[in-house]
Amino acid sequence: MRYLIGVDIGGTFTDCVAIDTRPGGGGAVPRIGKALSTPPDFQSGFIAALQAAADMHQVPLNEMLGDAHIYHGCTVGTNALVENKVARVGLIATRGHTDTIFHMRAGARLKWLPSNYIAHVAKQTKPAPLVPKHLCEGVDERVTFDGVALVELNEDTARGAIQRLIDQKVDAIAISLVWATANPAHEQRLRELVRELAPTMFVSISSEVSARVGEYERTIATIVNSLIGPPMQFYLDALAGDLAANGYRGALQIMSCTGGLIDAAHAAALPVLTIGSGPVAGLIGAADLSRRAQPGGSQNVVTADVGGTTLDIGTIFQSEPVRRPTASHGQYEYFVPTLDVRSVGAGGGSIIRAEGNVLKVGPESAGARPGPICFGRGGTRPTVTDAAAVLGFLDPDYFFGGRLKLDRAAAEAALAELGQPFGMDGSQTAAAAMRIVNSQMADAIWLALTQQGYDPRDFILYGFGGAGGIHAAAIARELGMAKAVIPLSDLAAAWSAFGITASEALIAQSDAVSMVSPFDPAQINHRWRALESRVTAKLIGQGVPSKAIRLSHHAELRYALQINQVPIQVEGGSYDSSAVDRMVTGFEREYERLYGKGAGYAAAGFQLTSLEVRGRAALTDVKMEAIGLGGHGDAVALKGYRDVGSGSGAVRTAVYDGALLAPGSRTAGPAILEFPDTTVVIDAKSSVSIHASGSVVIDLDTSEGVS
Amino acid sequence: MATAATDFEKQWNGRVQSYRPSPTWKSRVAPRLKLHETTSETIDPVDFEVIRQKLWTINIAHGDTITRISGSPVLATLDFNMSILTEDAEVVLNAPYVQFLNAGAPLGIRYIMENYADRPGIDEGDVYCCNDPWIGACHQMDVLFAAPIFVEDQLFGWVANAGHQYDLGGIVPGGWPQNAEDVFSDPIVLPPFKLIEKGEMRKDLEAVYLRQSRLPDMVALDLRAQIAGVVFARDQVLGLCKRFGAPTVKAAMRMMLDQAQDSFRRKLSLIPDGVWTETRYIDEPLPGIRTPQRTQLTVTKQGDRLAIENAGTDAQTPGTNGIPFCTWSGSITGIISVSMLFEQLFAYGGSERQIDYRPTPGTLTCVNHPAATSGGILHAVTMMNAIQAILSRMMACDPDLKGDLVAPTADFAMPVLIGTDDRDKFFGQAILDSFACGSGARSFGDGVDTSGPTYSPLSMILNVEQLEQWYPIVYLYRRDDADGGGAGKWRGGNGLRSAITPYRAKTMSVVTNTGGQGATTQNGQGLFGGLPSPAGHYIIRRDTDLAAWFSARKVPGEIADLAAGETIHLSGKSNGTTLNPGDVFELRVGGGGGYGDPIERDPAMVAQDFVVGAISQRAMADVYGVVLDADGELDSTATEVRRQSLRDARGTWQACPWEGGNTPPVPANGKAPRLVHEYVRAADRDGERVLECATCGHRLSAYDRSYKSGTLYREEPVTAIPSAPDPAVFVDTEMVLRSYCCPGCKTQIATEIARADEAIFPEMRLLAANAA
Repeated sequence: MRYLIGVDIGGTFTDCVAIDTRPGGGGAVPRIGKALSTPPDFQSGFIAALQAAADMHQVPLNEMLGDAHIYHGCTVGTNALVENKVARVGLIATRGHTDTIFHMRAGARLKWLPSNYIAHVAKQTKPAPLVPKHLCEGVDERVTFDGVALVELNEDTARGAIQRLIDQKVDAIAISLVWATANPAHEQRLRELVRELAPTMFVSISSEVSARVGEYERTIATIVNSLIGPPMQFYLDALAGDLAANGYRGALQIMSCTGGLIDAAHAAALPVLTIGSGPVAGLIGAADLSRRAQPGGSQNVVTADVGGTTLDIGTIFQSEPVRRPTASHGQYEYFVPTLDVRSVGAGGGSIIRAEGNVLKVGPESAGARPGPICFGRGGTRPTVTDAAAVLGFLDPDYFFGGRLKLDRAAAEAALAELGQPFGMDGSQTAAAAMRIVNSQMADAIWLALTQQGYDPRDFILYGFGGAGGIHAAAIARELGMAKAVIPLSDLAAAWSAFGITASEALIAQSDAVSMVSPFDPAQINHRWRALESRVTAKLIGQGVPSKAIRLSHHAELRYALQINQVPIQVEGGSYDSSAVDRMVTGFEREYERLYGKGAGYAAAGFQLTSLEVRGRAALTDVKMEAIGLGGHGDAVALKGYRDVGSGSGAVRTAVYDGALLAPGSRTAGPAILEFPDTTVVIDAKSSVSIHASGSVVIDLDTSEGVS
Repeated sequence: MATAATDFEKQWNGRVQSYRPSPTWKSRVAPRLKLHETTSETIDPVDFEVIRQKLWTINIAHGDTITRISGSPVLATLDFNMSILTEDAEVVLNAPYVQFLNAGAPLGIRYIMENYADRPGIDEGDVYCCNDPWIGACHQMDVLFAAPIFVEDQLFGWVANAGHQYDLGGIVPGGWPQNAEDVFSDPIVLPPFKLIEKGEMRKDLEAVYLRQSRLPDMVALDLRAQIAGVVFARDQVLGLCKRFGAPTVKAAMRMMLDQAQDSFRRKLSLIPDGVWTETRYIDEPLPGIRTPQRTQLTVTKQGDRLAIENAGTDAQTPGTNGIPFCTWSGSITGIISVSMLFEQLFAYGGSERQIDYRPTPGTLTCVNHPAATSGGILHAVTMMNAIQAILSRMMACDPDLKGDLVAPTADFAMPVLIGTDDRDKFFGQAILDSFACGSGARSFGDGVDTSGPTYSPLSMILNVEQLEQWYPIVYLYRRDDADGGGAGKWRGGNGLRSAITPYRAKTMSVVTNTGGQGATTQNGQGLFGGLPSPAGHYIIRRDTDLAAWFSARKVPGEIADLAAGETIHLSGKSNGTTLNPGDVFELRVGGGGGYGDPIERDPAMVAQDFVVGAISQRAMADVYGVVLDADGELDSTATEVRRQSLRDARGTWQACPWEGGNTPPVPANGKAPRLVHEYVRAADRDGERVLECATCGHRLSAYDRSYKSGTLYREEPVTAIPSAPDPAVFVDTEMVLRSYCCPGCKTQIATEIARADEAIFPEMRLLAANAA
């Protein structure tokens, strides 16, 4: 295998990173290929991005694909949901509980929404139901928390329910029963009945989609899985055909939000795992880099993926990404094992506006269309990108490597008009907006870390995505961090695609349990062995040799009278009472780290709520350290100077061609580093260097002390 | 002036009457305490926006700190709130949780400043604690923690939170004693005391605090979480002061208050001057007493100010129907915060500068010591519904404000399950399914089904699987509830029904607690001819054939499907009814009030509501006047006929028996006609300014009289509302539904539920001076 290829389909662009692992000399060579995404037939944009990368490597596409591994992060599921181009789904639930999906746990649905929506109760609503009421069927059965079948499954009424859904021409069925986590027999039997009556029907059962206690979030996960199952299947089939036609003979690996690659069959059965996988891949790439190369000298990293409409925030503690058990589709929260990536409405497209006598930025975005004013695509309201152009951060003639000319004058005029009531000219308004949006981004990161139990000052910032290089230093300074890093310089602009190539195969299988202390080691051992064999079987099916598999074991516990469930990594092997004690001790230690000394009430006992086994395996032997980045220092990197900033505060700033800077080179701010797809802004108080990995490291002088 | 203030201070000092800061309270703060009153003269708008955002973020993180550290299931349901205040305890920021819950902070802090600034003093590193309902708490279970913020030895501001506790003593576990005759049966009352002194916990006072609790260890954990919350927020605000300079941060805080005040004044100025009143009743002062008590809320709006009084409210009696001043005023600002001032993002404090509270002490909504107060907290919701109805009617007078009004939501119905499971573990906590009540209708659309309460937007219900982990029960169902919302041109959102049976329980009993008349007579009021939402219920079906259903592999869809030995309706306040295996308990959680005449509702929407089960056949036919054909499709012709017959029937209603007396005509003022109600406008007619029907132009009344005086009127039993229970089961006083329509076009323009002996409620009286 010569080419390692990661493809990430986003809402606007399809990014491809193709790494040539056997170039003529030196390390592996990465190249970026970008193409416009092409919904609904995303595979066209996929092939176009591959073609662009092949062009950069100067090889025919067939030749590249003939000797390649392709890893893929796809947004097909997300797109289908957002555009409502999903399967017609029927829901089968325990009789008496079919309305759970309409209740949405009342106010819990608003938990992750912006404050202005939460406060404006007169404008609140519920979204359209994911399954209309007439496609929700209750079946007679009931399992209790202890796994007892209080009411055996009534197969007669169940067949009737299934047949009614078939008669109503559903494309897929979601089955979610109360306490299926404690005893999945009824769900499994219902699936058999569906297969009897409709052998080709796409079916999801909640105990397999997401085995966590909490019927609402589990049911939503199951429904989402069924909604996007048929379109995902269609897409993967079409893509396989197109890739084969272009010479690809390997297996397609798909990125999952769990943080690793799964095979295409697995992705087709559990497409819910692909939602949000792009930002997750970015976090995986960052964690990998922090572990191997440590640019900036820290393994505690906050990632800021600054796109057009959102800032995606991730947290990496000691090179391990922080995880969470839920994700959201609008107001619908659902269970899925995912890395904790939080989106806030702040990005390059965020609109700058006046509200009364106050200047505000976002959360509304101009998006890709009409986009910022300076793009000249019909945008009329100034955005953060317009501010960046006016302040001189962006070179109007070298945006996207010169592929898009920026209309700086139009942006400045609009900002001047907006700022006039405040007595500010265009560039002053731009500077004000930039300060507000940077402060907002920093506040969102501060809040996310505080909620996770971390202090931002113990972290460094990785900034990537289209505008990561512009905001990284300012956000990091605001947070009191010592360093900001633009990982692998120009690759930052296609960072999720790169993260995909850095990913391993990962299968996670979990059991929801409700064991009360003292825990029975025999029960735990029984669960471990079953989970291990499920994980191993799936990985082997994915094409991984069994000796390459690395298993890790994880448990979630809580104090019996308190609700914080804390996930911890625990030992594998055979458990005896002392292993159980070590698990409890590990939980108490982690609880204390997260919530403070004395916060747990041990006298009430403990509860074990989840056991999980994860299996990982590298799918390639390419080491990311081997990637050759950075210039060789033999060319003149300094391109010239331009004024950066507003009015009299503008500073003559050196502009470098980043691609020509050799590792180890260092310069003091103010400076701007331009790469074809990434611009990095370094203020006067900072200095910048190129790390051995090819990453840009900004050293923020924080000696003045920032709160 | 000085004398009056002294009388005020003597009376409202927190001993018998509630504490209220007098207009000159700051002059009584001991000079030892130096206040930080320096503000930057101007503040850069960018600095302002940045600081505002940071204060918001700090306040939210304050709340997260509490839930995280406590790990308490009570606090995880967000039964608390937190705020940032100025040095003189104006509320700069409140948070999106239960809105009234931290109303004690500005009161309690001012009390502390007036009384303790000298000794024991207010110093850097201190934290005060208080749960005295006559000083700074809505009831004893919501304990206030307040930390001063000092900058260079000057008191810069405060941060505070109030949160619900597991147990603080009293005659019933959990702190909701419905049988408490006075405060001496309630949970312990603690006036403000300094629990943390210059950063050190007073061990002796902590012991005092915990001593009366049945669960001292758990209360101690939450105590630490709440303290950690204020300490965290205090340090973060200090960090802001260090970075931006205290005068700049103070200027931003003042500007937030000024913005809220300005916005409130501007919006009030859009509304004509007038007096709005609302009467609500509260059942069962003590369990089993069959005479409801009366409350009245009156809001007078003149120019840009509000005067709010409770005259007409019954005197306090033994029992749990009373709330103190803190809860009453907090219920008012809590609703202002999410209705008129939503755009301030819970920074409502400036609005209080425009409000004159005029409570009558010794009444149910401003009780004196030693009334029982802990079990009455659910009546705060009843009061919030009263102010919500009033504010909605006021907001309907302006086309822009009208878009932000919401009809009242349901009263709170809270069963508590107590007992032991088959492993002998004690349980005893509330089932909070009422947090899935429906919201009231809006002026442009329906209320939201199972939305959760308007006054606490983030409040949630737990999953059935979570509840079945905590309690030995099985939920047979938790389903949407037809007709739970009030009917109307826009209908109120529906609530739900939950049915529970014991599973692996050794013993179980159910205790009920209900606000207002939520289990007998009504939930949320209707607006402008929309119907009130019907009362909820607690029903037990004893000795059912559930086991036979189960072994036949069947699950009942509703409790009526079961054969049972006996059916018991529990009253809104009951102190323990046993649930045995085979018994089934059903809770009905109410919906929101309706908006506008139901027969104006789009027939296609009515038909759709019927098809999805949101309304019953009876509601469709009798209330909405909609007819379906044999195929179940809308029959437009038959519907029009049916609606006309409903309209014709209204023509036979009697003239409204108005007893409000005559007033001289208000002269015409040449102003354009303007709406002052969904269906009523002020207009000049024959040299007089009058109120007339906006649909047909029929003259209803002089400008300054209740428009109801010129309507046709009907009185019916409350059971005329589809699915409403008969109040007579629990209430001996006759309760009636009154409807009012325009004599011209027969549009139904008002409804109300009242004691049969009450005069017509005036609802709105516009003021002749400066007529709109």
